[in-house]
Amino acid sequence: MIEIKHVTKRFGRKKVLNDISFNVQKGEITCLIGLNGAGKTTMMNAIMNLTPINKGEILLDGNPITPQEYNRITFIPDATIMLPHMSIQEAMDFMKDYYNVWNNARAGELLKFFRLKPEDKIADLSKGNAAKVNLLMGLALDVDYLLMDEPFSGIDLFSREQIADVFTTHLVEDRGVLITTHEISDIEHLIDRVILLEDGNVYKDFRSEDAREQEGKSVIDVLREVYQP
Amino acid sequence: MPIVFNKRDPIYVQVIQDFKEKIAAGVLQPGQQVPSRRELASQYKINPNTVQRAYKEMEAEKLIFTDGNSPSRITEDQSILKAVRREWIDQAVTDFVESIRPIDIPLEEVMGMIQEKMTHSENQPLKEEHHD
Repeated sequence: MIEIKHVTKRFGRKKVLNDISFNVQKGEITCLIGLNGAGKTTMMNAIMNLTPINKGEILLDGNPITPQEYNRITFIPDATIMLPHMSIQEAMDFMKDYYNVWNNARAGELLKFFRLKPEDKIADLSKGNAAKVNLLMGLALDVDYLLMDEPFSGIDLFSREQIADVFTTHLVEDRGVLITTHEISDIEHLIDRVILLEDGNVYKDFRSEDAREQEGKSVIDVLREVYQP
Repeated sequence: MPIVFNKRDPIYVQVIQDFKEKIAAGVLQPGQQVPSRRELASQYKINPNTVQRAYKEMEAEKLIFTDGNSPSRITEDQSILKAVRREWIDQAVTDFVESIRPIDIPLEEVMGMIQEKMTHSENQPLKEEHHD
């Protein structure tokens, strides 16, 4: 479990994260939702130690995360990190050489799942396929936790469907997933938990099945109450 | 084939409803093996934890059973199978009656229409509510 405990992050005088606490459980898909500027990406960067936090702590299975333990967590940013002149195959080979947690068999399965051609050049891919390649590179790593920043943003409906479908397969397995998205309707039926960030605070932390069962509300109903009171 | 879920009822409840419907209709046969948690999640495009929850509930309701480590199967208990079928028909009739009640129509006329529809649809395959 990744525990975020009372995390505060300031940029200058502005508090971007204000005493944030929540958990990311293994085997669950947790969705971080919030309007632009709510602190979602900063939160992800803080977990990955890409930005220092001012207060609070972030624990992995009860302990502060050591540099070595960062090979149990991967962060998939919303932009392709690979060099555009590479083919998908070359990019995969690069990943294989670079990461000892690269799982070549799973990479092959993902390639098939997303119906990507390994010989295609990354520069020539559609936005949807580039997003799939980006995701493939992260999902092929044998890590316990996957952090994904906006995997659905700016891509077509069918690519979004295909990306959403991967979460229901063994390719994600029983790993812990933290995902930020604006396109909540794409994954409403897939997520276990929703953390609603608002102005750097956790406004709501709930299980999607509980909202349906106890209040008869969809995830979007709950969001609507917050944003359109 | 994924089923279409509504967004406001718990998904695990909708999965159980779907199983009950298929049991009542004989699409799922007594003793038939059910897909694994992961298989069903992929088929229905839902969270494997949701399938787990649905299976747990169905196990508690004795709709499915598991022997040791082998895959779960649909119950062979006739009284449970009958109850599922009964419950399904009862619900369908209740829904129908509720929808027709506001309309002023004599019972005999409704009965005649039902009869006509049912004989007519016997010559056609049952319409599937599933989408691709």
